Amino acid sequence: MKEITLEMAEKMLEAAERWAELSGFPSSIAVVDKAGAVIAIHRMDGAGPMTTDISINKAFTAVYSGAPTLMLARAIDPRMMGKTLGSGGLGLLTQAKLRLMFIPGGNPLRDEEMGVIGGIGCSGIPDGVGEISDTTAVQAGYAALYDEYD
Amino acid sequence: MVMNIDIAKKVIKAAIKQAQEMDRLCSVAIVDDRGVLVALHRMDHAPIPTVDIARDKAWTASTFRMPSSDIGKFGDPSTPGFGFNTQNWNDRLTTIPGGLPIQDGDEVIGGVGVSGGTPEEDVTVCRAALATVFASN
Repeated sequence: MKEITLEMAEKMLEAAERWAELSGFPSSIAVVDKAGAVIAIHRMDGAGPMTTDISINKAFTAVYSGAPTLMLARAIDPRMMGKTLGSGGLGLLTQAKLRLMFIPGGNPLRDEEMGVIGGIGCSGIPDGVGEISDTTAVQAGYAALYDEYD
Repeated sequence: MVMNIDIAKKVIKAAIKQAQEMDRLCSVAIVDDRGVLVALHRMDHAPIPTVDIARDKAWTASTFRMPSSDIGKFGDPSTPGFGFNTQNWNDRLTTIPGGLPIQDGDEVIGGVGVSGGTPEEDVTVCRAALATVFASN
């Protein structure tokens, strides 16, 4: 598995959407390739207009940084200032033409050699409200990919 | 009828089938009646910029309630309205053919945008997709 195809992307979206449905919050879910370009995005019925670009940018950020956006959220967390990361984390804010997203819910997808081959992002499920978050939904998408194609 | 993800998926599927028959690699975008993206698929190996171009075409067709190719008439210096394309009021407006409004009777419920072939081919793909999905209505 070196490349995410449209077919694989659709399988991931399907799985992630199932979890978003379970959470009760309609959301947008996007899958991008290793260049950070959109392969497929679905905005579920009832999901707000804002969620489209946020989900795309979360997936893009995951590819661009090679880390879950949860980690980036930590990097700019004011409570971390002066500790492990220092204020250097704020320098990330203006990168990539302001497309970096510091909200949890974007994960990179990796192949067997741990190279980044794409990303998946979800937006619409509020954090800490239920047991399912944006991150849970993208992990479900991630799992669907590896169930099917490993 | 209101645009929803099921209609969007059907239109995209039909468009991609048509593009495959024509041996073209396309992106297909579907937006709702406010111009907000509902679904977008990029075929394997289709160029990256087609994603945003398809989305722009769909946005233009949906919000202006006319095919994106018709927007070109506003660029005619001899007619009133010339200059609106230089206002810098948004970055989605496009005059490239390949975006069509999706209509339920007279009412526009969304837009479809295709990018990947020549403008004429993109329009053909749009038309074929809409004809397939809305033939029964």
